[in-house]
Amino acid sequence: MSSVLDVVLSSAFLAAALRIATPYLLAAFGGLVAERAGISNIALEGQMLSAACTGALVAGYSGSVALGTVSGVAMATLLGVLLAALRLELGADAIIAGIGLNLLASGGTAYAVYSLLDDKGGTSGLKSGSLPTVTLPGVEKVPVIGDVLSGQNMITWLAFLAAPFVAWLFYRTRFGLHLRAVGEMPDAAASVGIAVRRVQYTGLALSGALAGLAGVFLSMGYVSFFVRDMTAGRGFIALAAVFLGGLRPWGVFLAALGFGAAEALAVQLGTLDVPPQLVSTIPYAMTLVALALYAWRRKRRGRAVPAAASL
Amino acid sequence: MTTTPMTAIETEDRRQYRATRRRDFAVDLSMALATVLAALAIGFLVMLATGNDPIRAYEVMLTGPLERSFRVGRWLEDATTLTLLGLSVAIPFRARQISLGAESQVYAGALAAATVAIFVPLSPVVAVIVPMAAAAAAGAGMGLVPGAMKARLGANEIVATLMLNAIVVRVYDYLVNGPLKESGSSAVHSKSIQQDSALTPLSDWFGVPLGRANIGFGVMLLTAVALWLLITRTPLGYRIRMTGANPDFAAYGGIRVPRVIEWSFVIGGAVAGLAGAHLVQGVYGRLEPGLAGSLAFEGIVVALLARNNPLVVVVAGLFYSYLRAGGDIMEQQTDVGTEIVVVIQAVIVLLVTAQALPSLLKRRIARRQVGVR
Repeated sequence: MSSVLDVVLSSAFLAAALRIATPYLLAAFGGLVAERAGISNIALEGQMLSAACTGALVAGYSGSVALGTVSGVAMATLLGVLLAALRLELGADAIIAGIGLNLLASGGTAYAVYSLLDDKGGTSGLKSGSLPTVTLPGVEKVPVIGDVLSGQNMITWLAFLAAPFVAWLFYRTRFGLHLRAVGEMPDAAASVGIAVRRVQYTGLALSGALAGLAGVFLSMGYVSFFVRDMTAGRGFIALAAVFLGGLRPWGVFLAALGFGAAEALAVQLGTLDVPPQLVSTIPYAMTLVALALYAWRRKRRGRAVPAAASL
Repeated sequence: MTTTPMTAIETEDRRQYRATRRRDFAVDLSMALATVLAALAIGFLVMLATGNDPIRAYEVMLTGPLERSFRVGRWLEDATTLTLLGLSVAIPFRARQISLGAESQVYAGALAAATVAIFVPLSPVVAVIVPMAAAAAAGAGMGLVPGAMKARLGANEIVATLMLNAIVVRVYDYLVNGPLKESGSSAVHSKSIQQDSALTPLSDWFGVPLGRANIGFGVMLLTAVALWLLITRTPLGYRIRMTGANPDFAAYGGIRVPRVIEWSFVIGGAVAGLAGAHLVQGVYGRLEPGLAGSLAFEGIVVALLARNNPLVVVVAGLFYSYLRAGGDIMEQQTDVGTEIVVVIQAVIVLLVTAQALPSLLKRRIARRQVGVR
């Protein structure tokens, strides 16, 4: 057991936890914004995947990492708007439309990579580069904290800034107020003159953009290439974090960070004498239990379920 | 059925009701067909835009699966699993529950079927049935967890089923790589099942080589009919439909909605468990890593395409697995990747979600029939 403790307290573990939590944080905030706007965004997975693929391809062909990042985020934003359009214009069920978009992303990215590069696996043949890391001049020298904080990717910093940003957006801006009102009760919101559709379109676009940043981090931060289906269910985990966090910015922040830490732990424990597959079930089992507890507590309190959360 | 003779009005009502039902069925079927054609057209454009030859690709894709008898077998084998998985999600969907749990259920079913079929000595016939029953029970158990969480606590079923999938797939992976791995074998798989537990191959009956297609296909057809009868002809089916149509009204009408929701998950889980039994007893004859591939998720597409009508699910399942089989052949014989099939599938889902379309059509037909302009 002491070896587990050693692992958890090491600066390498803490640094890895922050890195692994990055895509969960960004995608979870994306899910949160959409959920609060009253449209469940189950397409987070597909948005991340499309952004990762577009980012790597554009960066590879243009030679500009910045251009790749912008195109990746733009692609995911577009998918967010598309989801909103399917829901609002065609009366589609947001969940099912989301499943469709995930499929489209999975097939579309694989087809695009195969058509362009003649490679089934991914874009590793293409030199696409990666986003810069941030070194903190003063902090770098500090023993543990320096190792943990300095040298993280710039998107990791963005992910951590996203929490106060979303909290500010929700509770300190007019748009946030409108967004929450629309998600809670669209008819009431419309009756006081809020442009419900416009708020929902904007919310879903923002949701897609956040998921897009998460995706770009996967193909241009984690590693510097795109691999087929590289999101590997992260979008769904992020969605779990949205509900686990009780649809509140800081709750979602803690839940997503917890998933990152749990996964980092599973990776580290893989070196010990424990079956890695079983260790890696821990975060999911924790979520399942937490989901049940959360629902039970909510039910016992008898508090009304937010309209968006009941799906 | 009825003991007292029906009045003329009742007879007329019944006739009209049946006519409406037939019309709805026809509309469902033609909508499915139109959806598929539109999706194929979009796939055509995508191939054209990416510099491939769509005519040649579609030719290979659409004629390939029928060219040799073993390819037909490959198709039927795939259709069996896919249709069972489509049926498994169609039932909770009918109660308006978005269950994404087919993956956990099919793997649990495969584990249960394999454990019984490998380790428990049984006499013939029984040796086929008991593992299947075990698989159905295991699948039902995996359905009960998210079902009860949703029905009793109001926990989000999408998150619950997704988490359960993640857990079960990893446990399956661990068992196949660990305790259940055949010792002395370099490749990862379990011991083979006992001969008596294997589902009879269709080749034995038809005298042509049909690959691994087996009587599981018949089991699938029977399951579809049974589920159709359940949904349309039984009190539970009525409650499921009512719950799906309007849960508040169903509760007001005295239906115990939570219990109905639980049942819909349990029944769906049992059917997905059967799909696992088919993979173990009919297709692979043992446990292999990633046994079900992406089929669990694709079952959702089939159910949606069939608008959750069990009999239409069979048609959609046959059609969709035909596309899959054709896609594989297309990839071997042309430069077009099989991913285009996933793109076509995605377009199908997106078109199917456009709920506004078919109900508009149905209403228009109904209006014309009663002579309202």
